[in-house]
Amino acid sequence: MSFDEVITQLQGLLGAQHVLHRPEDLMLYEYDASVDKGTPGAVVFPSTTEEVAALVRLAHRAEVSVVPRGAGTGLSGGSISRDRGIVIVFTRMNRILEVDVANRRAVVQPGVVNLDLSAAVARYGLYFAPDPSSQKACTIGGNVAENSGGPHTLAQGVTVNHVTGIEVVLGTGEIARFGGKCIDTCGYDVTGYFTGSEGTLGIVTEITVKLVRKAEAVATLLAIYNTVDEGANSVVEITAEGITPTALEMLDGLTLRTVEEATHAGYPMDSGAVLLVELEGLREEVEEQAALVRGVCMRNGAREVRRAKDETERALLWKGRKNAFAAIGRLAPSYYTQDGVVPRSKIPQTLRYIAEVSKKYGLTIANIFHAGDGNMHPAILFDLRDPDQLKRTVAAGADILAYCVSLGGSITGEHGVGMEKNALMPLLFNETDLDVMHRLHDAFNPGVLNPQKVFPTPRSCRETGSASLPPELRRRP
Amino acid sequence: MNDQGVVSGLEAELTGILGNEHVMPCQSNLVIDGIHTQLCVEPATAQEVADVLRVANDRKLTVIPAGGFTHQGYGNVPPRADLVLRTTRLSGIVYYDAGDLTIGVRAGTRLADVQNAVAEHRQVFAVEAARASRATVGGALATASHGPRKHSTGGVREFCVGLEFVTGDGQIAKAGGRVVKNVAGYDLMKLLIGSHGTLGIITSANFRLMPAARQTATFMAEFRTIGEAVAFRERVVKSPLSPISLELISPFAEGVSGQSPKAWTVAIKAGGSDAVLARYRGELGEDLSRELRDANEAALWSSVVEFPATMLQLNQRAMLLDVHMPAASLEPALTEAEKAATAHGFIFSAVGRAAVASLTLALSPLPGDPPSVTQYVNALSAIRAACPADGAVIVRNCPSEVKKHIEPWGSAREVESMRRVKRTLDPNDVLNRGRFLP
Repeated sequence: MSFDEVITQLQGLLGAQHVLHRPEDLMLYEYDASVDKGTPGAVVFPSTTEEVAALVRLAHRAEVSVVPRGAGTGLSGGSISRDRGIVIVFTRMNRILEVDVANRRAVVQPGVVNLDLSAAVARYGLYFAPDPSSQKACTIGGNVAENSGGPHTLAQGVTVNHVTGIEVVLGTGEIARFGGKCIDTCGYDVTGYFTGSEGTLGIVTEITVKLVRKAEAVATLLAIYNTVDEGANSVVEITAEGITPTALEMLDGLTLRTVEEATHAGYPMDSGAVLLVELEGLREEVEEQAALVRGVCMRNGAREVRRAKDETERALLWKGRKNAFAAIGRLAPSYYTQDGVVPRSKIPQTLRYIAEVSKKYGLTIANIFHAGDGNMHPAILFDLRDPDQLKRTVAAGADILAYCVSLGGSITGEHGVGMEKNALMPLLFNETDLDVMHRLHDAFNPGVLNPQKVFPTPRSCRETGSASLPPELRRRP
Repeated sequence: MNDQGVVSGLEAELTGILGNEHVMPCQSNLVIDGIHTQLCVEPATAQEVADVLRVANDRKLTVIPAGGFTHQGYGNVPPRADLVLRTTRLSGIVYYDAGDLTIGVRAGTRLADVQNAVAEHRQVFAVEAARASRATVGGALATASHGPRKHSTGGVREFCVGLEFVTGDGQIAKAGGRVVKNVAGYDLMKLLIGSHGTLGIITSANFRLMPAARQTATFMAEFRTIGEAVAFRERVVKSPLSPISLELISPFAEGVSGQSPKAWTVAIKAGGSDAVLARYRGELGEDLSRELRDANEAALWSSVVEFPATMLQLNQRAMLLDVHMPAASLEPALTEAEKAATAHGFIFSAVGRAAVASLTLALSPLPGDPPSVTQYVNALSAIRAACPADGAVIVRNCPSEVKKHIEPWGSAREVESMRRVKRTLDPNDVLNRGRFLP
């Protein structure tokens, strides 16, 4: 089937107004929040599960690939088509189908924006816990595909801990429903297995999620340090003491100064590091834990621990954190963010290693990360126009991830493997491990869904021209 | 070749892998639903497990994976059982990073051993199962076992962060890792947990640990009816309190420590300072009848975990059911289940997680008037009809002759997808053949 014929069939299936195929329209869908690029052959907007299934079947007949896409805020190229395939966008499947307050569940379509769900259920004192920094834009379908995290997942868990059921169009074009309002059902936990599979097993078309009750009290503390080491040691001690913050974020001096200039969040410009600590629970618990956290921070050399007086101050502190990467864009023409994870007891030595890498390659690295679960986000600053800098940047990133793995860590905590880190998978998994995963991939996806992602070797019969740009490279807007 | 010839040829091959002393005739107590297995093997490494499974796979034999043999009541009557593979020698803690609150253990490690090892560091290994001094980590994962802590920590799927396992065709594979946050590769932990040994034999697993509360207290509230108990549960769930456990204990739940035999009891375990515990008292108010501390408290919770084992010990012919349902269905479902059990000649009792709505139901035969097979079958059907489709009613134990007439797993949905997973990881159907899913 020629691609023109594919377009005609897509238009017949969805109506011409729901199919984009002109180059100027397709350009908007060639990237995500990294600058990995790949121009799709067509972009389509289905409105029902049946249409999605028909699209997958059509893709089979036409031998073109299909890539699901939410808001395009992903950080590993998961929603980019590598071989001019069909990109399915869920803008029209954005309804909250049911809010079941008694069972604390919501049933949503994949295009529902993360924060919109929390807003819709706020009147019941409930919210949807996973809170990626992109939560104002990112969709719950995308969260499921990537098993997204966020600052507050330290206490509440990541997306997979909040999904109890899915309806999914398999790579074969069949429609299946797994789980429901109850996660414990008879048979294998396919819901959990599909969550985080990066659109390589099926396309989620309906999701049942848990809703969580808002805590009675919240305290947001800002601990201010002269050195990064003092902050890192505080994280180790907070974890080891058994204190369980709902969020525990760290920003180094370079990052916090940049953030402060951009957002005026109240981070002191002359400090070496800050910890943002949030505690939630009963009033009594929060007060006790706040005192414990303050004690740990002061013992580890904090020069001051501030506490947000009200919701406005709290929101400002978080605004700084959530907009940090946008602010980092002010520092250099481009930056490359890693997503490695280390055991929390190893954070101080990892930060020291990152400082060595920075020296070794002559590159500035800004650190901002989910300290509470050891999820490091070093942002390597560089200029994309300088090929030598680009080469050093990529090498520095690989060094850092290899170090994380050597400590028993991982190459990605929440951004996904996608097309960014698929070549690094052998750092974590041997050939047999990957072969078993391949077999399970093939059981649900004969190849048409999101090819050339997650697995190290290209698995599709089609090959892209080049490996494209190194991932997560961002240009200044 | 006759059967004897098959067995002796097989025995020689297994002895070649494991040595003489780890291939033995199966002990008479390792019987599943009246089915005796000839041989028992005890590999000590993942590689040995893989070598044994390759032999079984080539010969298209059936292997029954087993840990402490405490939860083998699940599933259909095995149509055939050639080998029992015990994880006894695959035991021990691989690493314990107290500072990171993570631990890695081999599958044959007893639950109690892990619980004790981390308790020394004021940490909690939240995997719970009856007979923890025999039950193993691998078995608890395979059966998705859970206890009262599930209320706050979720099931083991929520805190198992990595696995190593051997597929039915003898490949050693791993998924996840050691760290608490990780999205690299497929989450095969989810598939293996609750797969009842049908997809692979788990050889080791890594877990997130929880900090232990500095002190705890348990608040007991007793009610005449299930309706009042569930109304109280709703009060707790809507309050700002976040207890460690929120348990529902029915009348006649024998062996549950200090339980008044005629009441529906809600037991709330809370952790924290004196001020926090005082807050619980304040919030729960006049509904509280008793407060347990120290030894009394520990006795209650251990008897709650032991409930299924106790009920079976008291009556070998009891039928035990694991039920899961959306929280709002609990009251109507339990009301109907109790009626059905009584109508068919059983004494009904139930213990489990009140808010998560995961419970074990026990149907104990009335003394002196043993129910017929038909009565078991009818009671089960009536209970299944009373429980919503969005959940499960799974037979945990029942007399073998009853099993032949029931579907122990209930009606699974999407069976074709499940079979695809099974065929992929165990193409020759070596692992627990015929015991799982229709």
